[in-house]
Amino acid sequence: MISDCKIISHEVISRDYRKIRFHAPEICRAAKPGQFVHVQIPSLSDRILRRPFSICDMEDDVLTIVYKIVGVGTARLADAVPGMMCSIMGPLGTFFPEPEDGKIPVLIDGGYGAAATLPIARRWKQKGILLLGARTQDDVLLTEEYKACGYDVRVATQDGSVGTKGLVTELIPGAIADTNGKCVFYSCGPNGMLMAVGKLSLEQNVECYLTLDHQMCCGVGACFACVVKVKSDSSPDGWRYSRSCCEGPVYPAKEVWYA
Amino acid sequence: MPDLSVKLGPLTLKNPVMTASGTFGYGMEYEGFFPPEDLGAVVVKGVTTRQVHGNPTPRVAEVVSGMLNAIGLQGPGVDKFLHDDHYLPGLRKRGATVIVNIWGRSLDEYRETAEKLEAESDGIAALEINVSCPNVKEGGISFSADPQKMAGVISAVRNATKIPIITKLSPNGAIPVFAKAAEDAGSDMLSMINTIPAMAIDIETHRPKLANVTGGLSGPCVKPVGIKAVYDAAKAVKIPIIGMGGIETWRDAAEYLIAGASAVAVGTATFTNPMAPIEVVRGLEQWLERLGAKSVSEVIGTVNL
Ligand SMILES: Cc1cc2nc3c(=O)[nH]c(=O)nc-3n(C[C@H](O)[C@H](O)[C@H](O)COP(=O)(O)OP(=O)(O)OC[C@H]3O[C@@H](n4cnc5c(N)ncnc54)[C@H](O)[C@@H]3O)c2cc1C
Ligand SMILES: Cc1cc2nc3c(=O)[nH]c(=O)nc-3n(C[C@H](O)[C@H](O)[C@H](O)COP(=O)(O)O)c2cc1C
Ligand code: FES
Repeated sequence: MISDCKIISHEVISRDYRKIRFHAPEICRAAKPGQFVHVQIPSLSDRILRRPFSICDMEDDVLTIVYKIVGVGTARLADAVPGMMCSIMGPLGTFFPEPEDGKIPVLIDGGYGAAATLPIARRWKQKGILLLGARTQDDVLLTEEYKACGYDVRVATQDGSVGTKGLVTELIPGAIADTNGKCVFYSCGPNGMLMAVGKLSLEQNVECYLTLDHQMCCGVGACFACVVKVKSDSSPDGWRYSRSCCEGPVYPAKEVWYA
Repeated sequence: MPDLSVKLGPLTLKNPVMTASGTFGYGMEYEGFFPPEDLGAVVVKGVTTRQVHGNPTPRVAEVVSGMLNAIGLQGPGVDKFLHDDHYLPGLRKRGATVIVNIWGRSLDEYRETAEKLEAESDGIAALEINVSCPNVKEGGISFSADPQKMAGVISAVRNATKIPIITKLSPNGAIPVFAKAAEDAGSDMLSMINTIPAMAIDIETHRPKLANVTGGLSGPCVKPVGIKAVYDAAKAVKIPIIGMGGIETWRDAAEYLIAGASAVAVGTATFTNPMAPIEVVRGLEQWLERLGAKSVSEVIGTVNL
């Protein structure tokens, strides 16, 4: 699906982070937690590729994206103003499955990964725990939104400026203990963090879903740019490259190849 | 209404617009955007004898008005391509016109791939021989560096199949020489251009932006290179030419037709706008109508010097 969507609002969250909202009824109706949209940045005319962003919210026909300014495209997006139109493809990719009854979602995010799991907190009846890792205070995002959904929010920063000092993975044993092991992990963030979360889930025998992705072109499985390694019985090497835009970005941790 | 159908040697297509190999997957990926059977042909990603992992990531890098790729021809292998519903059977069911892009690391791999496709050729309109991929170490570009070697590949495929063949040329070599060599070796058509060998470096880290170090340039920035290649080739050979490289709209397609192409392919532009190929069909139709042309052939090779 591809639609021209009007920008409704655009807010500064902090120096590097922005929240942008679009009127996008069709996308919102079809979207599920964990999916993403592929956005053509307005007036980025000398660049040809769309930019992928996780769907952070899709309630009431309003599509919300939270993004970090990291390069030419996101810098240009930051100039966009309400009223402008924007071509958006989506919703794309696989999504997070709901836990079986009696199991509690534990969301484990790094940085803007917090955007990808917010729809879980909003949509699913069963509330849970958010473990959020960040480099510093400025990268701690969306905690008020999670609290408003009834989530127990626990933060770890590498410099200790807020929450516990250290890595988010250090908060995992506590969350397992507090849920008596009756939990499912949903995780989005930097690759190193995801690999650590995935391995830990396998050791602890906890069901776990990771959002793995890579730089994208088409967003629909046609170009093979966005591949990540997954286990494969039919490949002599034991792994194969999987297109994270359509076979992912959400993968069960037990299917991921940990090299 | 102008007649959009085009005759490409032994092949007749309902309109002159195809997809460029490698930018439209195996044909079904864009099904949700428009029916693939509405195009002149769907050219699928390169297929060879066996399953191929492709290159490590990053496989793409964006540059001004274009992109580099070094995908490395990841693909399912010809057997799976022929039998799994995501590939040829799916396209057959939809009634799409399919052109299969093939490649190999050796003459034998080209031959074996062509033989297997010949054996189950129902629904395959043509084979496009990729002798010009810049992104695989063996095969690909090495067969396009020497007109004699390229002719060897074409003869091997020619002997293995009766399916019409298209030879895809690199913009790197002397186009008239390679175009003539391909024609003489029995190629029914030519297509050009493949991506242009290129490189980009991150100045912070001093590292190449592609894991493969180098890759192929495509997108709007390559169009003038493609136009010249088609113009030069059209003067050198009689067989029809499929023009590609940087086509985003019907205007770009019209430019290729005027330069001497009998058909065109839309590649990288589909990533930006999934509707691009079908919009080019509609745009060309309206253009011909405005010109009062009855058929596409009236505009082919009409450069006014
Ligand atoms: C499925 C998915 C979901 C994402 N969700 C979010 C989100 O919710 N919030 C957010 O801030 N960012 C998200 N990202 C990352 C975001 O797409 C990039 O930060 C953005 O594309 C950078 O564009 P740029 O032009 O500013 O950067 P540049 O570095 O100038 O971009 C050059 C090229 O590299 C690509 N690129 C650069 N960084 C990344 C990256 N980290 N991941 C993928 N492609 C990249 C760009 O798309 C572009 O093609 C997501 C990425 C994916 C694949
Ligand atoms: C991501 C990507 C993958 C490609 N894969 C193939 C391929 O498998 N075989 C081939 O012959 N050409 C391949 N090409 C080249 C295109 O078919 C085309 O020749 C080239 O991109 C120029 O056209 P464009 O500028 O419209 O993209 C690929 C191009 C891109 C961008
Ligand atoms: S982005 Fe093209 S296959 Fe995933």
